[in-house]
Amino acid sequence: MKKILVVDDEESIRFLYTEELEEDGFSVEAAKNGEEALEKVSVFKPDLITLDIKMPGMDGIETLKRIREVDRKLPIIMCSAYGEYKQDLTTWASDAYIVKCADLTELKTTIRRLLGLS
Amino acid sequence: MSDRPDAYALLTKIIELSTAPLPIKDKLDQMLQAIKEAFGAEQTLLLRREKIVENGFLWRLASEKKPFWAGEESSLPQEYVHPKEKEMLRPPFACFPLFDKETLQGTLYIGFPQNRRVSPEEMDLLALITKEMGEAIQISHLNQRVGQASSELTALHEMGKAATSTLKLQELLESIVKTGLRILQAQGGVLRVEDRTTKELKVHWSSGDYSKHPLDEKIAKRVLMSQTPFLLNHSGKDNPMRSILCVPLRSRERVLGTLAFYDKETDPSRFDERDFQLLLTMANQMSFAIENALTHHQTSQLAWENEKRVRELTILWELSKALLTTVNFDHIVQMTLTAITIGAGLGFNRALLFMVNEKTGMLGGTTAVGPDNAEEAGRIWATLSKEKGRLSDLIGRLDFSKDENSALNNLVKEIRIPLEIKDCILSKTVLEGRSFNIRFPQSEGAWVQTACERGCQLGSEIGCHVGKHLSRDPVVYSFATVPLWGKGKVIGVIVVDNLYNQNPITDEDVQILTMFSSQAGLAIENAILYRNLEEVHQRLKETQTFLLHQEKMAALGELSSTVAHEIRNPLVSIGGFARRLYRSVPDEAPEKRYTQTIMIEVSRLERILSDLLDYTHKESLTFGEVDLREIFEESFSMVSQDLHNGDVKLLKEYPEVIPKVKGDQRQLTQVFSNLFDNAYEAMKGKGTLSLRVHPVSKNGSLFVRIEVEDTGNGIDPENLHNIFNPFYSTKESGLGLGLPLVYKIIASHRGQIEVDNRPGEGVTFIITLPAATQEEKKQTSA
Repeated sequence: MKKILVVDDEESIRFLYTEELEEDGFSVEAAKNGEEALEKVSVFKPDLITLDIKMPGMDGIETLKRIREVDRKLPIIMCSAYGEYKQDLTTWASDAYIVKCADLTELKTTIRRLLGLS
Repeated sequence: MSDRPDAYALLTKIIELSTAPLPIKDKLDQMLQAIKEAFGAEQTLLLRREKIVENGFLWRLASEKKPFWAGEESSLPQEYVHPKEKEMLRPPFACFPLFDKETLQGTLYIGFPQNRRVSPEEMDLLALITKEMGEAIQISHLNQRVGQASSELTALHEMGKAATSTLKLQELLESIVKTGLRILQAQGGVLRVEDRTTKELKVHWSSGDYSKHPLDEKIAKRVLMSQTPFLLNHSGKDNPMRSILCVPLRSRERVLGTLAFYDKETDPSRFDERDFQLLLTMANQMSFAIENALTHHQTSQLAWENEKRVRELTILWELSKALLTTVNFDHIVQMTLTAITIGAGLGFNRALLFMVNEKTGMLGGTTAVGPDNAEEAGRIWATLSKEKGRLSDLIGRLDFSKDENSALNNLVKEIRIPLEIKDCILSKTVLEGRSFNIRFPQSEGAWVQTACERGCQLGSEIGCHVGKHLSRDPVVYSFATVPLWGKGKVIGVIVVDNLYNQNPITDEDVQILTMFSSQAGLAIENAILYRNLEEVHQRLKETQTFLLHQEKMAALGELSSTVAHEIRNPLVSIGGFARRLYRSVPDEAPEKRYTQTIMIEVSRLERILSDLLDYTHKESLTFGEVDLREIFEESFSMVSQDLHNGDVKLLKEYPEVIPKVKGDQRQLTQVFSNLFDNAYEAMKGKGTLSLRVHPVSKNGSLFVRIEVEDTGNGIDPENLHNIFNPFYSTKESGLGLGLPLVYKIIASHRGQIEVDNRPGEGVTFIITLPAATQEEKKQTSA
């Protein structure tokens, strides 16, 4: 079973993503900020991370950098409430970027693609 | 018949004859006849003094003042008789010298028949008669002198009358010459006056062709220089001037001029001493009158010039005042040209203005004022002459609009003259910064004959355009050009002419035009500066509005991104959980619809949020070569699915090759998906959506023109001007950011958007985008 780490400061988003992804057969852990996410990466060892960009304290971009310092291959999907960061996608060395939407079809398709699931 | 005369009867007869009103010659003839008859003489002669042979017998007799009787040959002292006298002095005869006081007048000779003897009494009687004859001669001489003196007096009186009757120089001089001609019985006369400033001796009045004779002027100059009268009587009929009389006109210390008369009408044509004296008297008397008239003439000339100067200054002042009433360029130009052409102003027939364009180095026809033809000219002048009031008010009241469409104005507006054509009089006026008064443009040897590059006979394009087309007779077409000075440089040229009334343009006219032009030049330059200022001000205002808008948008963007972030997350969970609920609720349960409603509304909110973020987002463009076909397909696929339902026909009209455009793929897709969305929505499920694409060429550049046409209801004209304003929506849903976004994107692509609105029928959005291909060409060629 593939493990997914959901990083988001919003409780409701963490809850929705966990419910949806567990239903799809993933093992899901959630972190509410960057520091917690870094801890969980080493402990939980996820196969994929969904990382919210705008978070209090250490934001998604900083968190991405830190993770990449230890793991350069781990698939990471950057999530944002709007499309402002689209341009800098490649420089962050993330694997995908999606705009958050109530319809999780795009997110799920991306996850399956990155994990090599059909 | 007794040969003894009746002394009483003879004396009575002689005295009667002496007092009779007869010419002296007739008197003497009749007296001689009476003597002959009374004495029964064979011959009676009155020998004039000049006929008496000098040192002859009769001459000797006259010097002794004694009568002489010769009865026979022996009583005649033969040694004294001159051979010429021999024929006449045949005794018996009697001789009586005839004296007028002490002056010998002649000798009375009476020849008697042979054997007639004359008694001493008869000798006394004859001596008495001789004396009476002498007196008759004397009286006749006296009468003649009195008559002459009286006619001279009359002449002088007439002249004096003429001198005092007028102060007008020309009239006075005319009357002097005419009176002189009459008194002196001359055939011609010339009066010359010396110009005080130029020292030139000018003919002021002449009668006959004598003033044209080269000798006349030479004589006049000599007389003037020497101040000596001149009299010459030629002999021979071949001489062109047979007698000349010329005197200086002297007044106080100065010589004013000369007065000459030619060819006395007598035969032979000679002026005598008396004529000479008479003319001198006349000249002396007239000189003072002439000097007075000259002074008067000069004074009135000065007064007239002063008056004229004052009038000109008044006109200038009035015109300048009129120019101060506005800073509008068109008005000032019209006023200037009108002031030049109006009769109460400078009064030229037509005025044309050419302005210098420094960027192009050309003189361009700007405006022209003047009638198109002579009839119109007459009509305008008639109307203007009725107008009352001050000049400045008059010009202010004029309606300029009617001149705008005159043939002259249209013609002038098309004239372009490169300043480098230095032969052109207009270029010359600008380059040399001075005025030209071209009186006879085709006069021989004049510089204006040098042809300009267009082969203009007047040496300038103004000739080509104005002279050739508008002058009735280009041979005498004359005009003047005056530079229009701004501050330190020539900004244009004013051209004037008097085409219709053919009044000559004087140097003074040009001078006052130059004075006025310097005023007008400053006013026009000010107007240009003001116009530029206004333009800059307008641009500044636009920029300010744009910046304000930008600032608003930036603030809005900042606000909305914050708000969006805060709202989107809850929306994601609301919508997300609604979807989860929807999936778990059985299809037949009423909750299925409740949750569906939540899902749809959340989707709508999310779309509004996206629109708002898209519009306010300061996204930098990623320009590339874009294939419009791809963009159209993608845009169609983005149109909301529910709009696709219904009976909407889609017409695509593409050329074989659509030139690629330079642009941002994502943004252009936004543009067309918005337009298509609107079109579908407007047609409410029924109609035709046409998409037409054409490559077009504009100003040498390639563009792609895209037309999106629907058959909806069109846009309410009331709303038309607002469609590109943000947050202005007539739709039930949406923030009203669709068309503003379209506008923003097209503007950032340096494209154009037009709307062809047909209320009730539909609307067409026409977008023009620059093609990418020409950019490529430039790059490859560079």
